[in-house]
Amino acid sequence: MAGVTTGPSRSRRYVMLVVLLCGFGGILFRLVNLQVLQAAELTARADRQHQKSVTFEGARGTVTDRHGKVLAMNVEVPSVFGVPTALENPSLAARHLSPVLHVRRDELEKKLRQDKSFVWLARKVEPEQGQRLERLSLEGIGVVMEGRRFYPKGPLLAHVLGFAGMDGQGLEGLERRYESQLQGEKRVTILQRDALGRTVFPKGLAEKPPAPGHALTLTIDEVIQYIAEKELEETVNHARAKGGTIIVVEPRTGAILAMAVSPRFDPNAVMALTPDRWRNRALTDTYEPGSTMKVMVAAAALEERVMMPGTMLFGENGRMTVANTTIHDHEKMGWITFAQMVQKSSNIGAAKTGMALGEQRLYRYLQSFGFGQRTDVDLPGEVSGMLKSPKDWGRRSLASISMGQEIGITALQMVSAVAAIANDGVLMKPYVVAEVRDQKGTLVKEVLPQVRRRVVSPDTARTLTTILEGVVTNGTGIKAAIPGFRVAGKTGTAQKIDPRTGTYSSTQFVGSFVGYVPAEAPRLAMIVVIDEPQGEAWGGVVSAPVFRRVGEQVLNYLGVSRDDQIKIAMAKL
Amino acid sequence: MKAVAILAGMGLVFVFVWERVDVVRLGYQIERLKTQKVALERERDQLQVKFSTLTAPERIAKVATEKLGLIPPQPGQVLMVRQQHEAPLSPFAIEQVRVARHIKE
Repeated sequence: MAGVTTGPSRSRRYVMLVVLLCGFGGILFRLVNLQVLQAAELTARADRQHQKSVTFEGARGTVTDRHGKVLAMNVEVPSVFGVPTALENPSLAARHLSPVLHVRRDELEKKLRQDKSFVWLARKVEPEQGQRLERLSLEGIGVVMEGRRFYPKGPLLAHVLGFAGMDGQGLEGLERRYESQLQGEKRVTILQRDALGRTVFPKGLAEKPPAPGHALTLTIDEVIQYIAEKELEETVNHARAKGGTIIVVEPRTGAILAMAVSPRFDPNAVMALTPDRWRNRALTDTYEPGSTMKVMVAAAALEERVMMPGTMLFGENGRMTVANTTIHDHEKMGWITFAQMVQKSSNIGAAKTGMALGEQRLYRYLQSFGFGQRTDVDLPGEVSGMLKSPKDWGRRSLASISMGQEIGITALQMVSAVAAIANDGVLMKPYVVAEVRDQKGTLVKEVLPQVRRRVVSPDTARTLTTILEGVVTNGTGIKAAIPGFRVAGKTGTAQKIDPRTGTYSSTQFVGSFVGYVPAEAPRLAMIVVIDEPQGEAWGGVVSAPVFRRVGEQVLNYLGVSRDDQIKIAMAKL
Repeated sequence: MKAVAILAGMGLVFVFVWERVDVVRLGYQIERLKTQKVALERERDQLQVKFSTLTAPERIAKVATEKLGLIPPQPGQVLMVRQQHEAPLSPFAIEQVRVARHIKE
């Protein structure tokens, strides 16, 4: 009968109701458990599964010479890895890989037989090798791309550029000095993945990718650098010298056009080298300059009117006693003019000039020329050299310093000081980086020539230039003469201190030549330093010819013609 | 009226679903183009390195001397060519050109 419920029917309904309530209760409990109690943990787990956090890093900035020629840049190159656990036949894989990677077959097989899930087989190989491997498509062998700093010119300018490490951080040279500008922007991005692990679309898709590092444009000229390195290397090899340095600067601006250091090294392969090899000796190593220091002594004497070019000095026939020690000249000289003292590089004449100046005045001028202090060039590792205060000078110091002893200088300090004479007496700050630009080419920083101070008057600089021209026309630097050009310069031959005895060595010398050309309107100031040449060690013999060869080629390259010099000379009349 | 409402509702659902699908499709397309861009940039950088390596002065000098048998110019063999607005070459310079050619020959 309808509407009437019998006993068993009602009880079934109750049972159903209870079952349903229990079911829904269970679902409700589960929901509360998942959505409320475990919500935080499960959300985090889900995020881990479908989101991927990736750190993107912009490429390291490029370094170019003053004409835009690339000297250092970042390139993505393939690295090859193996998954030993996924390999069925390691021997066969090694046989295929060996000719491509140029690694011995047994070496590869040994790696592939390891009980590991990942092994590197070859890192940062050539792109062609990666492409060949991809074509082979071997099971259990993979290729990933890694950023590598590349120096396409090999050893060219290596001591200035320095190098970056495996993690892309600047470790030496400009790479280290300009790390903050060269380094690309780092940014962490969250990527969404689908069920197959493919990236769907990143959160913040509209965001710009991380910016690459800034690009540096140097004052260095690749061709001048090559000429300097080639000539230096040839000379160092020929003279069986320990090493050498050539620095070429633009006297008007202080811009460094070339900085060559021997022995050279390849920044693409520094792993096997010691720090001694990549040290930039042009600014980290000090040496006693010897006679090149007479340029500064002469400048001070002329400026202070202690000497005139025609002032007569007695050469003491090649021997003079100072503070119970004897000063020698390389040849016996009687009465000579002050100009001849410089041109013939008389130690006795220089000592007398220094004595005429006095300790305080000489010290003041040497400081003013930049000795005993860093030039503040934009390269790491520069030392200040050694210039003692007059209160620490001994009885012989005035004479010694006047002839380039008892003073420690760097090649960069010396070329800067002589460039000041070439620049009408104004000392400029040397620099290597001319411009910093962002990835769009917008100028971030422009380095303008910076005057440090006036050291001597233009008149003194011109008078000294005439005297220094005499060094090359009929003095010790005759081998530096460049046909068709007026060259001003000074030779220097310094004995090195023997570390075993603590006295001057009779076999170890530093031969140098520093000068500028064309003397009437200098385009280049250059120093050539040859460390411990064997055989003839005179600066005039070993270094002056290098100055001539480099100077001649560079003037040709810069398009400075001999006709121009005639016009300049005529205009000055 | 009811049918219109149902149709409109279905249309809205369709637009919504289509839009979601299209967003995913465009996401894949963007990702593919980005991969392509990275590959092209990589190729450009590799070519740039290759170009820089091949144009290194050291290599050019080596090829010039060893492969082509060239030698550096001797003093007097290099003459600056004047541009039109500059003064013409002097008879002395013309003679130098002649001598330089003679030496070369």
